[in-house]
Amino acid sequence: MNTLLAVIIGAVTVYLAYTLYARRIDRHVIQSDPKRATPATLYMDGVDFMPTNRNILFGYHFKSIAAAGPIIGAIVAANLWGWLPAIIWLILGVSFLGWASDYSGIVISVRNEGNSLSAIAHRLVSPRSRSILFVFIFFYLLLVAGAFVGIMATVLESQPKVQLGVIVLTVMGLLLGQMLYRWRTGLVGATLLTVGVTFIAILGGGWTEEIFKSFSAGLNGLTGGAPLVTYFDPTLANFQGADAKIMPNLLFWALAICAFCYAGSVLPIWRMAQPVVYVGFWITAVSMVLGLLGAAAASFMKPEVAQFVIPAFKGFNPHLGPAGIMPLWPMLFVTIACGAISGWHALFGAVGTARQIENEADMLPVGGGSMFAEFLLGLLALLAVSVGAKGAPVGAFATGLGGFISVWGIPIQYATSLAFAAFIVIVLVVTQLLFRVQRVTLSEWLGDVFPPVRNQHLSSLICVALAILLMMTGTWIYLWQLFGGANQLMAALSLLLVTVWLASVGKSWLYAGLPAIFMYITTLASLLVTAYNIYSNVYQTNLTAGRVIPVIGSGLMVLVALLLVAAAIVIGIDGWRAFRRYRRQPAAARRPAAARA
Amino acid sequence: MRGLSRSVSERVAGVREALSKFLYGMTGYEFARHALEMRHEMEAVFMVVTMGDLIGVPVLPPVYSLRLLPYLVPEVATWKRNMARRKDFWEKEEYDLHAV
Repeated sequence: MNTLLAVIIGAVTVYLAYTLYARRIDRHVIQSDPKRATPATLYMDGVDFMPTNRNILFGYHFKSIAAAGPIIGAIVAANLWGWLPAIIWLILGVSFLGWASDYSGIVISVRNEGNSLSAIAHRLVSPRSRSILFVFIFFYLLLVAGAFVGIMATVLESQPKVQLGVIVLTVMGLLLGQMLYRWRTGLVGATLLTVGVTFIAILGGGWTEEIFKSFSAGLNGLTGGAPLVTYFDPTLANFQGADAKIMPNLLFWALAICAFCYAGSVLPIWRMAQPVVYVGFWITAVSMVLGLLGAAAASFMKPEVAQFVIPAFKGFNPHLGPAGIMPLWPMLFVTIACGAISGWHALFGAVGTARQIENEADMLPVGGGSMFAEFLLGLLALLAVSVGAKGAPVGAFATGLGGFISVWGIPIQYATSLAFAAFIVIVLVVTQLLFRVQRVTLSEWLGDVFPPVRNQHLSSLICVALAILLMMTGTWIYLWQLFGGANQLMAALSLLLVTVWLASVGKSWLYAGLPAIFMYITTLASLLVTAYNIYSNVYQTNLTAGRVIPVIGSGLMVLVALLLVAAAIVIGIDGWRAFRRYRRQPAAARRPAAARA
Repeated sequence: MRGLSRSVSERVAGVREALSKFLYGMTGYEFARHALEMRHEMEAVFMVVTMGDLIGVPVLPPVYSLRLLPYLVPEVATWKRNMARRKDFWEKEEYDLHAV
């Protein structure tokens, strides 16, 4: 297998799935009608509801859904089961489930006056389903925040070359916000300055390497070289398990990341979150485009970086030592989330994008098209880790992507630095947005019961503290799988909602209903497997060794997993009842109430 | 032949336009939306100051409200919808968090 063949398979998948399946569903089941008024045209307010050109909306939606998910999922899955199951799931997932979830999220909102999924669930399924969705969103954001903080702190601690780039990215983001919104500088000039300086800092990370190394040594010297926390991590040492140590340097970077995210959460969006995301977007986009083109061209121009080096298949339940049971089903289907199917996409599409759809004919190219583009991003990550050197997953990814970028004549050490930085940047900018959304969700969910959480500082601090606690367990791969389970369950629930809606309007529901059933069962099973793994391999081991913080963190993870399972069962029962009710008598067939005199 | 080359050049121009819009969607569009949202927030405050009596807040003497009325009428429907979506009057909608 080489990268060119994989890129061709990816392109053919997109073409066939889009033209032969997605388009047929759009025409014959949903029957999108360009003449039907959309919420954007009906309720246009120039801000929230705004008819927008389909190409602009495609770019906007794709950028909003494309984040670290497709990259990290592919990296972890390739290391656990080999590249073949990962690529098969990516292809089948996006072809039969992923596009359907993203597209349907937009469709259901457009056909329901631009309402969010939670509002539609409140009306179609049951009033309590809205509250349950809030619980879902909060906890899955917590899980992913814990996983991301852990990953980033580990990479920043071990890669002093990347640290300068991250600091400069923050400064340039703040400068960009000031230039655009206060000094009214043109976008092109401001972009050239801020993105250019950030690129220079990333590529020149070696200049300050020694300074950061001595800084790290100084920090670690504060405790005389002793760790702050020691815990057993079953996923270390190629899944053989080992004692891991949280040194002061690692904690410093974790706290620095949290401070960055806290600022992104409480400052006005224009001041920090938005411009940092924008600068980060260019770093990531340039790396990914160069990488994807490099992956396609490497077979001709630099064959040594185009050959897969990891095994194609490692088994259905590879023996992973103390890492616990890791069966291909259901764990692969939650480990690779966003490149195949993701609940977040449907959630965002239902309100963020649906309220800007100008014409029903745009729903498929925008919703489905963006998901197919995201699949290509996941495929690139899989290729990068498959050709990268063996070892730590993120390192293998950066080595592989650096190899692809080097096809274009960029020296390998700079290309690898750029790949590392691209990874950190995409995770970092997503994490600060996560904390922002999580803070709002917390105040929506508990604000009435416990009013102090309406305070943005308190709610942000709670979110940050919980993420740090989860990070202290150290097992970010388990955290990632728990997040994947919650995220895929969100996708299952959104598809369930679409199924109920299709039944309520008397349309064929199979294209959404079958994926909903598959994802629902798979994700519930995966949450239970992960809870078991965490309990038996992290909680009990650390409890026996008398390590308090990892015990609290892993106990919290098990509780979250069980809470998500319980919430999903309740919402599933409500959804099933609503489905049967509408199957007996579709809402469209019901006689309207008589007008009052 | 001329027709063929024209159709090819039209297609190329179409692809270029689509690509530039896609790039704009990924880059500048979010800033443009946010600028609109900031303006919208300021207009909402202005509407309260001038047309507050509509929702029971008599901030401006009616004579001035009436003089401004012709200029504000086109905005009233949008403003009412926006106010109706809020859970309380002082809620400041976080547009960047639509999905929640």
